[in-house]
Amino acid sequence: MKAMELFSEAKEIKKGRIRIETTKDKVEEMIKKLKNNGYEHFVMLSCIDWIKDGKFELVYHMWSYKYKEHVMISIKINRDGETVPTMSHLFPQIETYEREIHEMFGVEFEGNKRLVSFVLEGWPHMPPMRKDFDTEKFVKEHYYKIPEVKEE
Amino acid sequence: MMKEYELFIGPNHPGATGNMSYRLWAEGDKVKRAETRVGYLHRGFEKLMEKRLWMQNVPLVCRICVPEPDINEAAYSMAVEDLMGWEIPERAKYIRTIILELARISSHLMTVGSIAASLGIYTAAQWGIGDRDYILDIFEEITGGRVYHIYIWPGGVRWDLPKNARELITKVLDYLEKRKPMYDDLILNNKVFIRRAAGVGVVPKDKAIEWGVTGPNLRAAGYKLDFRKLEPYAAYDKIDFEIPHYPKLGEYEVVSDGSDIYTRTAIRMLEIVQSIRIIRQALKDMPEGDVLLKQPQWFAWKVPAGYSYVRVESSKGEFGYFVVSDGGKKPVRVHVRGASYTHGINVMETIAPGLNIADFAPTAFSLDVCPPEIER
Repeated sequence: MKAMELFSEAKEIKKGRIRIETTKDKVEEMIKKLKNNGYEHFVMLSCIDWIKDGKFELVYHMWSYKYKEHVMISIKINRDGETVPTMSHLFPQIETYEREIHEMFGVEFEGNKRLVSFVLEGWPHMPPMRKDFDTEKFVKEHYYKIPEVKEE
Repeated sequence: MMKEYELFIGPNHPGATGNMSYRLWAEGDKVKRAETRVGYLHRGFEKLMEKRLWMQNVPLVCRICVPEPDINEAAYSMAVEDLMGWEIPERAKYIRTIILELARISSHLMTVGSIAASLGIYTAAQWGIGDRDYILDIFEEITGGRVYHIYIWPGGVRWDLPKNARELITKVLDYLEKRKPMYDDLILNNKVFIRRAAGVGVVPKDKAIEWGVTGPNLRAAGYKLDFRKLEPYAAYDKIDFEIPHYPKLGEYEVVSDGSDIYTRTAIRMLEIVQSIRIIRQALKDMPEGDVLLKQPQWFAWKVPAGYSYVRVESSKGEFGYFVVSDGGKKPVRVHVRGASYTHGINVMETIAPGLNIADFAPTAFSLDVCPPEIER
């Protein structure tokens, strides 16, 4: 069955692109349902920082080779401290996407055992993909100074 | 009794596919466990893109993938066009097809050469890099740049092909066709290669889609799936070409159950032939006309609010751009989906146990892992 028939909240934004806005407690059921209905390719998991609303938007992208349709399931969570259950048991590659989002945005995924550092190693600062992380200021503070030579 | 030990491969290692590394735990020469480690190449493209104007991102995105930069330009431009609601001129579609296929050939030549080199056939790698240079010459003639072209642009391509483009391209295609039997003798018809590559580094066929495998790696597993046919972009819907997939390996012998190093190499060689076929058709059928839409002032673009996901079929698999706009002068978020993200991490880590250490590098090369796609 196609996503438009499966879910009443599905909206077709253009041909072959479906967008579903839902809540985090329904997302697992939706991904399972889509997986069993021909949407067997998990494309990726994206995160968007809507800083004005104080929300993170997580977008689960799925594709059906059968219907040639791309479904984006969106959930919004609070920027500070709200956790999301992991989906890595449904598709193994989600583990890595969650690991990256945890590192770059600071989102906690409950049940993902591998939220270890991914690209950044030993990063003590704010997760850098957050909109309030000021790249320019950070660079100026850290890389614009010539380190002092200390006499021993 | 052999004790388990740890082995580090990369980041500067002939067995690593670029600036990345693997940590292996092995017993004797059998890999027990593998862990992919990235982070040597992170340049923060996605963050940078949020700080730059829509147009300023065009010269930036091509830097995401060095061996095949044009897919980035194409996907980013397609996403902007999608949000803007632009339909690009017909001629530009054909030119994009030609550029993307030339890039695919150049990338495949490098990959096939690297796979062979990792099995000791170093000549193939030299040939691959050498022949790729002829394609870079064409790019230089058309776009002015050898590696980064910044030629595909939202709204079409920046300028028309030069007058001698047809002759230049045809000459190189003729040359590559002549070279192919030599590559075949050296690699795919070579008994040494077959014995090392057949049945090694197998991605389970029933798991391939679930694990997010795409591109030549998926076709080597027996699926006839290609986004150039599934969701045609550029001029692919008007061009006649085939999708090489296991077990239809054409002139090559089927020596294994597929989804192994041998089949993945064969699929790439067959795709080079198809790319040549596509370019020849595109050069022949290309209509006359404009190549770039009339556009508003480049530095004052406001892209309508919305979500767009576009994908192209790169030499490595599905390459997608998820672009979010709030109607402003800069993107809110650009998320790049590289095919190597799954191939290099989850797939590689899962199929590595049981591999011989000597087979690890060829397996990684045959999955065509490109680290910059992982850490944009």
